[in-house]
Amino acid sequence: MSDASIENEDIPLEVVSDVDQTWQDTVRSLVNAYVLVPGRIMITDYRALLGFGIVFGYLFVGTVGVWLMEPTTMWDGDRLVQSFETMAHPLGTDPQGRDILTLLVYGTRPILLMMLSGGLFIITIGTAIGTVAGFSRGRLDQILSMITDVALTIPGLPLVIVLAVTLNPESPVLIGILLAINGWGGLARNLRSQVLSIREEDYVEAAKAMNVSTGNVLLKDVLPNMMPYILYNFMSSMRGVLFASVGLYYLGVLPYSQENWGVLLEQAYSGGALTTWSMFHWIFWPIVAVVILSIGLILLSQSTDKLFNPRVRARHE
Amino acid sequence: MSQQVVAQENILELRDVTVSFGMNRGVSKVLDDVSIDIHRGEILGVVGESGSGKSMLASALLDAVVDPGTVDGEVSYRTDSGETVDILDLEDEELRQLRWEEIAMVFQGAMSFFNPTMKIRGHFLETLKAHDQDVDEGMEHARELLTDLHLEPDRVFDTFPHELSGGMKQRALIALSLILEPNVLVMDEPTAALDLLMQRSILTLLDDLQEKYDLTIVFITHDLPLVKDLCDRIAVMYAFDVMEVFPAGDLSNSTHPYTRSLLNAVPNLTTSLDELRSIEGSAPDPVDIPSGCSYHPRCPLSTPECEQEDPPLEEIAPDQEVACWHHEKVDEELPLALETSDGGSAEVYEGNQSDEPVVVMDDIEVHFETDDGGLLSLFDDPEIVRAVDGVDLEIYENDVVAIVGESGCGKTTFGKTAVGLQEPTGGSVRYRGQDIWETKRGEGTGDRSYDEIRRALQIIHQDPGSSLNPNRKVSSILQVPMKSWQSDLDVEDRKARLLAMLEAAGMSPPEDYADRYPHQLSGGEKQRVALIRALLMNPDLILADEAVSALDVSMRVDMMDLMLTLQDLFDTSYLFISHNLTNARYLAGRAGGRIAVMYLGEIIEIGPAEEIVQNPQHPYTQALHWSTTDLDSNSEGEADESPIRAIDVPDPIDPPSGCRFHPRCPEAREVCATEKPSLDSGTDHCTACFREYSEDHPYWDSEPLGEETIGAHVGGESS
Ligand code: SF4
Ligand code: SF4
Repeated sequence: MSDASIENEDIPLEVVSDVDQTWQDTVRSLVNAYVLVPGRIMITDYRALLGFGIVFGYLFVGTVGVWLMEPTTMWDGDRLVQSFETMAHPLGTDPQGRDILTLLVYGTRPILLMMLSGGLFIITIGTAIGTVAGFSRGRLDQILSMITDVALTIPGLPLVIVLAVTLNPESPVLIGILLAINGWGGLARNLRSQVLSIREEDYVEAAKAMNVSTGNVLLKDVLPNMMPYILYNFMSSMRGVLFASVGLYYLGVLPYSQENWGVLLEQAYSGGALTTWSMFHWIFWPIVAVVILSIGLILLSQSTDKLFNPRVRARHE
Repeated sequence: MSQQVVAQENILELRDVTVSFGMNRGVSKVLDDVSIDIHRGEILGVVGESGSGKSMLASALLDAVVDPGTVDGEVSYRTDSGETVDILDLEDEELRQLRWEEIAMVFQGAMSFFNPTMKIRGHFLETLKAHDQDVDEGMEHARELLTDLHLEPDRVFDTFPHELSGGMKQRALIALSLILEPNVLVMDEPTAALDLLMQRSILTLLDDLQEKYDLTIVFITHDLPLVKDLCDRIAVMYAFDVMEVFPAGDLSNSTHPYTRSLLNAVPNLTTSLDELRSIEGSAPDPVDIPSGCSYHPRCPLSTPECEQEDPPLEEIAPDQEVACWHHEKVDEELPLALETSDGGSAEVYEGNQSDEPVVVMDDIEVHFETDDGGLLSLFDDPEIVRAVDGVDLEIYENDVVAIVGESGCGKTTFGKTAVGLQEPTGGSVRYRGQDIWETKRGEGTGDRSYDEIRRALQIIHQDPGSSLNPNRKVSSILQVPMKSWQSDLDVEDRKARLLAMLEAAGMSPPEDYADRYPHQLSGGEKQRVALIRALLMNPDLILADEAVSALDVSMRVDMMDLMLTLQDLFDTSYLFISHNLTNARYLAGRAGGRIAVMYLGEIIEIGPAEEIVQNPQHPYTQALHWSTTDLDSNSEGEADESPIRAIDVPDPIDPPSGCRFHPRCPEAREVCATEKPSLDSGTDHCTACFREYSEDHPYWDSEPLGEETIGAHVGGESS
């Protein structure tokens, strides 16, 4: 290369732009980065597509579905109509004549709320504690690590049962948080060790040299590396909350104010649905609802790695 | 064919060896019809840039190509008894015996070869047992090998691999590979990760080993000058084929345009700085090798004939083959720079250093406590690593100071202290008269804010793979510095500016580069982006920590040129850290800067770049100088004797008393072990060695500590 080709006036510390970027451009590039590119990546992967479809379906049912359907009351239909017998009660009715499909649809919303609040709680607390501990060294790290260890060693289920019985929470959001109360320990510990190695990367030191604030370094240089892992954790903790809530309702530990899948299961079980063939649909459909949602989450979580991998992203721009 | 006659002395013959991988883009040929003979008892250097197929050649020699690659052709090996075996036809069990017992291999990454949980002794024992050898006799042999390689067998046997330094590990690995007394040793970049001085020392030892044990060595490397003195013949590879083979003694024997250009691109200590030329273009893709001569798109002598037909490898002199249609014209058209150079010094960007120091470091000390974290360490005093121990340095405006030294000498720590990224445990760092760390703590008296100081001191790292955040595009990476100190710029201005910078750094079209992720850039391009990022802060001083060492030889000059050009435009100073005197000379020499040589945390010699290179005073600097082979010395296949007495750098936890270099210094006398020479000052060129002191210094009357240097005693007498 020839040195002469670079002239003083080309030198760019003074350059300013003569085009103005409009807000439409900004929106367009944001849409591109957060909607189009992920969309294109998903389309190439049928599992992600399926997972996304399932989860989106539940979201739709839990929001719009509730609004489209009349709530069901006792003696809406005959007692114990079997599945697929009449169009009025496609999944059948329970012994009190309530429509099972409607019960499921109305049960979706509190369950989703619980999962969402529990999942968000876990990743917020886990990420915050893990990254700050890993990045800060010294005293703060020691304190946060100790808290994490405590959270990890307390046995989860008994704690949740004790808290549930004493606090007797009713709002699904609170129940979700309660169920996730000590689920963040593993995530925090794992992130801490990841941050420890990312902190040594040269680009983090370069950012420090450029006087980038610690918050920004964490946000722009450290977190993106861990995003796939965090998202994966989000999905799996939502699954955890789902199972925990259904399980605890089933055990009758959680107070039930609203009908949800766990409550349905408990009622069906105590009504003898497991042993009587004519009642079997009563317990079967709530289980199916839980299983499909859980499969959807698994499928979706398997594709999170791709969404953030720059090598994959680059191919879809 | 004359093969019958020559065949007697060939221990290995490759005929039309091709290695190919099926990929979804097409068939990728990573070795393309290679034919070459390897003589018994010779050292053959195989030289090529990264991606030239040289490592694949090593794998093919042992039929060790990984799946799904396929090897075609013929590799015949002639045993001691005169039988010929075709390696590619062997069964797995026969192959296993052949490898190690007949042909041994040493790879670059010594660490990944050793099992980290097993002591070195275990590795030797296991190898002996696996090949049904007599263990006692084998271990005796192992001791001898280790001693030959300047390792203490008893100490080394009882250590775990991670406790050894890189150079020790590599030497232990060489001993391990020779334990079964093979005839052929294939080495793939065995020293590339090590310091130059260590590389040269190992090469010296190899030369002795080869003689003592009658080995045939195939030495694969990217560094032609390094192996020139060691090898008997050199084979140059380009685009997955051998371009030429020539006797190593005299580099002017080379007749292929590629070899010439390669040699002219390597910075060295003798060529005048103006003569260095990088090679235009880039190496071909294995899926799509150019038709005809694969070098024609980059060859200055290329003619239409070259594009049509692939020149065969033909013999033009004994031991010399070349694949080029126009090799007779090479001497005329592409003379070796080191032959034509008049030795005169290059044009330097002179006189632009001001007298005003930007950064002044005064008696800097950086001591780390090693903590092993174990319970036991509670009861011991923590061990102190003296990374930097009392160093003064002033860096002026538009200055270039190159710091040279082996790894572990504290040069990186010192550099980071200079730009305020490492807090010294003693002494002060001042930016334009104002103490950096006091200002950071808000105690300073100066009127500059810490932000301003922070902006003025920037860094470029060594490893291109880690210097850029893999998750952000170039354009967003380069906006960070502007966001940091020019908040008045809006996003379009920032973009316009970074595009202009990319263009200025020779990365065009800039829009295209700005939109890439780091993994879509080559190593050299990543380093350019890192340089631009640093420059966008408009700094006064940039620490370039081995910023070119990880790049291919032909790209280093490019990168350094860019640094110099931009220095001229931006008025920055560089603190350039390197283990390689030639790179230091290139950068500091062109800018009329200084070279400082560091050893175990101290600067032991400092002076104007050309002075240090042409007239090194300190015995250690002389050793470093020795390690960067002169391209034009015509010694034949003999690595000359090393000017140091011990290969390994002493432990910085417990540095030697007196002059820290005395255990390795060939000139050391008793006084050196007790008294410490200080860096004489007053002149431009200062040296910390008693030999620079006046005639009446006690040094001259004291007894020498011993003069045996490396390579002097390993020879035949001990066998
Ligand atoms: S054959 Fe032609 S293109 Fe190839 S190296 Fe020789 S002159 Fe250059
Ligand atoms: S002072 Fe002595 S040991 Fe040190 S470099 Fe000089 S001669 Fe060698």
